[in-house]
Amino acid sequence: MERRAEAERGPWALALRRFLRNRLALAFLGLFALIVAFVLAAPLWANYVAETGPNQEHTVEQLTVDGEKKDVVTPEGKPIGPQWFGAGGKFFLGADGRLGRDEMVRLMYGGRTSLLIGITAALLATILAIVLGLMAGYFGGWVDSLIARALDVIWSLPVFLIGLAVGIALAVGGLDLGIVELSGGSLWIPIAIISVFTVPYIARPIRGEVLALSEKEFVEAAIAQGVGPLRVMFSEILPNLASTVIVFFTLMIANSMLFEAGLSFLGAGVQPPNSSWGTMITVGVELLRIQPLLAILPGAMIMLTVLSLNIVGDAVRDALDPRGKSRLDAALQFEAQAAATRPLGETSLP
Amino acid sequence: MKKLAALIAVLVLAAVAAVGLVSCGGGDSASGDGQKGGILDGTYGSFPDFMDPALSYTAEGWNAMGEVYLPLLTYKHAGGEEGSEVIPGLAKELPKISNGGKTYTLFLRPGLKYSDGTPVRASDFPYSVERMIKLNSPGAPFYLTIEGAEKFAETKQGPIPGIETDDKSGEIVINLEGPRGTFVNELGLLFVAMLPKGTPVEDLSADPPPATGPYMITESKPGKGWEYKRNPYWAKANGKAMPDLPGGVVDGAKITVVRNEQSQVADVEQGLYDWMQNPPPSSLYAEVKEKFDGSQFRVEPAISTYFFWMNTQEPPFDDVKVRQAVNYAVDSRALERIYAGQLVASHQVLPPGMPGYEEFDLYPHDMARAEELMDEAKPSDMDVTVWTDSESPNNEAGEYFNEVLKELGFNTTFKALNADNYTTVIGNLSTPNLDAGWGNWFQDYPHPNDFFQLLLAGESIQPTNNYNFAQFDDPAINKKIAKLATEQLGPQQEDAYGKLDREIMEQAPWAPFGTRTLSTFVSDEIDLDSVVFNPTWGQYLTSFEYK
Repeated sequence: MERRAEAERGPWALALRRFLRNRLALAFLGLFALIVAFVLAAPLWANYVAETGPNQEHTVEQLTVDGEKKDVVTPEGKPIGPQWFGAGGKFFLGADGRLGRDEMVRLMYGGRTSLLIGITAALLATILAIVLGLMAGYFGGWVDSLIARALDVIWSLPVFLIGLAVGIALAVGGLDLGIVELSGGSLWIPIAIISVFTVPYIARPIRGEVLALSEKEFVEAAIAQGVGPLRVMFSEILPNLASTVIVFFTLMIANSMLFEAGLSFLGAGVQPPNSSWGTMITVGVELLRIQPLLAILPGAMIMLTVLSLNIVGDAVRDALDPRGKSRLDAALQFEAQAAATRPLGETSLP
Repeated sequence: MKKLAALIAVLVLAAVAAVGLVSCGGGDSASGDGQKGGILDGTYGSFPDFMDPALSYTAEGWNAMGEVYLPLLTYKHAGGEEGSEVIPGLAKELPKISNGGKTYTLFLRPGLKYSDGTPVRASDFPYSVERMIKLNSPGAPFYLTIEGAEKFAETKQGPIPGIETDDKSGEIVINLEGPRGTFVNELGLLFVAMLPKGTPVEDLSADPPPATGPYMITESKPGKGWEYKRNPYWAKANGKAMPDLPGGVVDGAKITVVRNEQSQVADVEQGLYDWMQNPPPSSLYAEVKEKFDGSQFRVEPAISTYFFWMNTQEPPFDDVKVRQAVNYAVDSRALERIYAGQLVASHQVLPPGMPGYEEFDLYPHDMARAEELMDEAKPSDMDVTVWTDSESPNNEAGEYFNEVLKELGFNTTFKALNADNYTTVIGNLSTPNLDAGWGNWFQDYPHPNDFFQLLLAGESIQPTNNYNFAQFDDPAINKKIAKLATEQLGPQQEDAYGKLDREIMEQAPWAPFGTRTLSTFVSDEIDLDSVVFNPTWGQYLTSFEYK
């Protein structure tokens, strides 16, 4: 009776139920929600508590803490430490360095930047990967070869080093492609770099899955009925990729955030004076001996966000594929078999 | 009885050897009561640009080779202003200047030898100058006023007719195209240090040529480090001929490049290295100073100016009122904090310690006055790009300047470039949007012209390798700079340079904000008091001694 009722619920309701049973995932989903709420509250904190903007400098100003005047930055260049609520919430976590900017405000705004880049880059990479994966898997032949080779090329590159070089070059000169023009400090530059270089991570498994789905009866039936390739791809195959896409998207946000932090730490991502958690670590590392919190806090924020996204992503995958024999595994198996039977010289994605 | 005789013989031999070692060194030692000998273990934050005297144009290079390769003239081995005095080096005395300031006559000291035993000859001087020009050295422009040098630089075909020598008498006669007031200083630069005829015309950083100074470089591994030993011919010949120059206390030195400044500080603190050449990083500066000031650490004055430049050729900074407004808006106190105590506020072109320097401040920080001037100027173009190098704390100074301009109402685009190519990019006039940015200048030699000719004279504006970042080209000021450049420096000229400084600041092509200090940081085994820091050459290797 219970089994029957479960069967009647449909796959999405079942997946949701399975996900809700995973307490660890729920806890980390809550943590992620808290982080999002924290960064979204940045303007409120900046305007009503700290009364300063993220890039506003207070180098020569003094702060009244419990009736006592304190330099925001001492003449020797030492930034003020955490004041908690001693100054009414101003410089709650201290100053960010010798420019005397409010660390708490920059942490919140920096988080917005990091999350914005992470989510947007993951979204762009996923959209690109879906289009490329669908085309390669469905059309096969030279289209598949062309896309596969292009993805192979990106895959074979030392992605981080190339991203670093491209990031530094674009940070100086910006990007001008005629129709698209980006200034050196634009956030779209790290977004574009991250999304382009992470496409193969999603496109390759999607392509494998499309290859497997293309052989299914419902696809053959649609083709037999004269449905066009675009409609087959987007109406018949794409809905069946949903679980894979959701899982990968979640994990890609975490990956993109790490990528952004690395690029920004090395000066090739978010450009000053804007902050991201990556750029904040760069500033913090320099002052590690005198104000260790400046590096630890943004580092901890990145770690907690990435950890929560990874755990939630894993839980989503488990919920959508409870038997552990995922479509992804099947797709990869199919791809491996196809590669084994392919004539020598003709290659495809591993 | 035999044992006693042997013991006495050993003691006598030891005493003789000790006396020999102590007397070794020719010129005066760096004094002090410290231990003689030993190998100094030093660390640099980076390898010099070149380990070839004809090519190096960095503080690291000049510090590393200043007592290895001697020019005809040199600087007094002393700190502070005393160290700015030009004294004879390989030349017997200072040059005789004749022919309306166009002819310089010098005589080489007799009996000098290179560290490989080759005698030093007068004809080595034109060879060294020609080699330097053939290598396209960054120092070449200093010597292009020698008759025929400009043509030589184009054709690379010698000899340079403006230099005549006589190996027998040691006479060297240099004829210039026109009088040049800075030429005495320029004869004391490392670019024209004497090298033996036949020295390969190539970068010898990995295999440095023979030395004339008290030390020679015995091994050089570019990027990693190098080693010094005593020049064997210093004690035998050169030291005796140049008694004004010290022979050094330590027997040699081993220099290791450690790129992490924080590690350098920790290593010197723990005694793993005896000395770090570069200053501690800004983040540790206050801590090191507080802990070791006076015992192992000392702040050293450096003749330098740190400034923000504004492109005077393009709007909005083609309007003097806008430039003056920026000067009023920049707060040197903030920049002193940004440089973590390693910068002393100053609001003029000439730095303290430079002849002609006279303190003034035309633009004390006044935001209200700045806004007033902006209202009067009403610049039509408010979009500006702000450039800086990405090295801390210069990047923070650039960020500060960016915020100052925003506060004045400009819409800014901020660009932080890698320090290695910052000057190249902003020195290339084809780079778009060269509106304003950060800059600094350390003296090449203690002559005020060094801060005006290249940096602020209209004739110095060039399409690439341009150092007149503000592209400042005021005909009246150009004329004054050109006139002063032909005169030998004296009290009258110093006074004129002081006035010129003020006149330029009235035009406000820069917003100068300070002069940088450097430092000496040694381990507790080194006698800090004995270490001499020269504003041009840095710490003299000959002055280090163990306690």
